[in-house]
Amino acid sequence: MTAAKRRIVPEELSNPSWRVLSFIFLLLAAFVALLLFPVPEFKGYIDPFYSPLILLLPIPAMLRLTCYTFRRGYNRHVFQHPQACEAANRNDDRSRDYTGETTPLMKIENLHRYFVYGSLLILPFFFYDLFVSLTYGGGFILRAGSILMIVETALVTLYLLSCNSIRSLIGGRNDCFSCMHAPRARKGVYDLQSFFNSHHDNLAWLSLIFVVAVDLYIRALMAGWPIDFTLFKIVGI
Amino acid sequence: MKKISLGIYRQDPSADRKGKIVKYHVPVEEGMVVLDAVRHVQENTDPTLAVRWNCKAARCGSCAAEINGVPKLMCKTRIEDIGDDITVEPMRSFTLVKDLVTDISPAWAVARSLPHFHPRQRSVHPFRIEEMDVERSQEFRKCIECMLCMDVCHVKREHNTSYVGPRYIVKAASLDMHPMDSLDRSKFLDREGGIGYCNVTKCCQAICPAHIRITENAIIPEKERAADLFYDPLMMLLKRLRKVKD
Ligand code: SF4
Ligand code: SF4
Ligand code: FES
Repeated sequence: MTAAKRRIVPEELSNPSWRVLSFIFLLLAAFVALLLFPVPEFKGYIDPFYSPLILLLPIPAMLRLTCYTFRRGYNRHVFQHPQACEAANRNDDRSRDYTGETTPLMKIENLHRYFVYGSLLILPFFFYDLFVSLTYGGGFILRAGSILMIVETALVTLYLLSCNSIRSLIGGRNDCFSCMHAPRARKGVYDLQSFFNSHHDNLAWLSLIFVVAVDLYIRALMAGWPIDFTLFKIVGI
Repeated sequence: MKKISLGIYRQDPSADRKGKIVKYHVPVEEGMVVLDAVRHVQENTDPTLAVRWNCKAARCGSCAAEINGVPKLMCKTRIEDIGDDITVEPMRSFTLVKDLVTDISPAWAVARSLPHFHPRQRSVHPFRIEEMDVERSQEFRKCIECMLCMDVCHVKREHNTSYVGPRYIVKAASLDMHPMDSLDRSKFLDREGGIGYCNVTKCCQAICPAHIRITENAIIPEKERAADLFYDPLMMLLKRLRKVKD
C-alpha cells in the first residue's frame, strides 16, 4: 500500500480470484475464436472485428480496457474494489492489498489517449463498411443488417467522441475559455462534448453490444439463417 | 400512529470495547426524515444518544451517517422512501467519538496540505471572471463538506492510503479550474495526493448529496491533467518546447 510495498503487478493479478481468471479467460477465448473462425465479409457486410484488419484489433481492445467506463466496470465486478457502494455488498476489506492505478502496469491507464488517437484512425472504416453494405449490388439497398450497422456506427462514433481524454484535450485542461481564441465556439464545442460525455457509460456499453451484435448477425447469415430481409432497394444502373 | 423500527449504533469508546445496534420503536408522521426519528429517541427515550446536526436543510453537512449501509444525510432522507426497518450507523471511515458522532478533523489536515489559491501575476483587481469560466468551479462550490464521499470511498475506508480523497480532489479542481489561479494541482495530486489510488468506481459521485459529479468533473479531469504532466510523452515534449519559447 505504501511506496515501500509498491509492486509492479497489482495483487489481483499476481494472486487472482476466479473472477479475474474468468475475465481473462473470456477475453482470450473471444480473441482465439475471432482468429480461428474469421468472417471478413459476407454479401456486402464487413465484420467490424476484421475491418480493416484483425491485426489492428488490439487498438480498440486497449481503448476499451483503458476507458474510464470499463475501468469502473472491472474494478468493481472483477477486482471488487469495491463491488458496490453500500456496506453490505462492498466485498472489499482491510485485509486485502490495494494499489489501485499506482503500479507500473496499471499506470498504462494514463496512456488511454493514445488508444483514442489510434481508434480515431480506425473509425472511418466503420463508415466505409456501412457504405459498402448500403451499395451492395451496385445500387442502393437497405437491409436489416444495414440498419444494425447504422446504429452500430452511430454508437461507436458517439462513444469514441465522448471520451474523457477528448474532453480534456478540447478544453477540460484549460482554465480559462474566455482567454482563448474564439471563446464562444470553444466553449460551445466543449459543452456539447460534455453532454455526450455525461452519457459515456451508456454509449460505451451499447456500442460494444452493437459491435458484437453485428458480428454475430453476419455469422448467422453465413450459417444460412434467413433473417436478412430487404426493406428498400434501388437497382444500380 | 404508525411506528417504525429504528436501529441505532451505540458505542462510547471510552467505556465500551464494542458497539451494538440498539432497536427503538419510533412513531412516524408523513414527511418525517431519519434525523427526526433519531432526535425523537434522543428527546424521549435516551438523552445520552450522541448525534450531530445543525441546519436540518442539507446545507451544513453535519448529520452525515450510514443509513441502511448507504452514506446519506439524515436530514435529507425521508422515512417513507426507505421503509420501516431502518438502521443508522456512524461513518466508518472516521474515528468514532460516540454513537453517531465521528471525528472528521483529519480531513482538515488534508485541506491545509492542498496548494492554496495562487493568483496569476499581472492579474488586475478586482478579478473579473467571464460567466463561461465560472460554471465549472461553481459546481464544486456546492460542496457542503459532509465527508460522505470520503466515507464511501474504498480507498479511504478499506485501504487507508495516502489518498487525499474525493472531497479534496473536488477542492483542488475548483481551484485549478479558476481562471485567475496559476497553479496546476494535478502535480501535487499525482505525486503526494495519491490520485492514482482512485480507480474511478464512482461511489463518491453516486452518493454526493450536493449532486456534484465528482468522478466525471473533478477526478477524471485531474487524472487527465496529471497524465499531461507525467505520463504522456507527446504532451511533455510540447510543454517543454513551449517553455523554451517563452
Ligand atoms: S463532495 Fe459531496 S459528498 Fe463530498 S463532502 Fe462535498 S458535498 Fe459531501
Ligand atoms: S471514484 Fe475514486 S474517489 Fe470516488 S469513491 Fe471511487 S475510488 Fe473513491
Ligand atoms: S474514457 Fe471511455 S473512451 Fe475514453
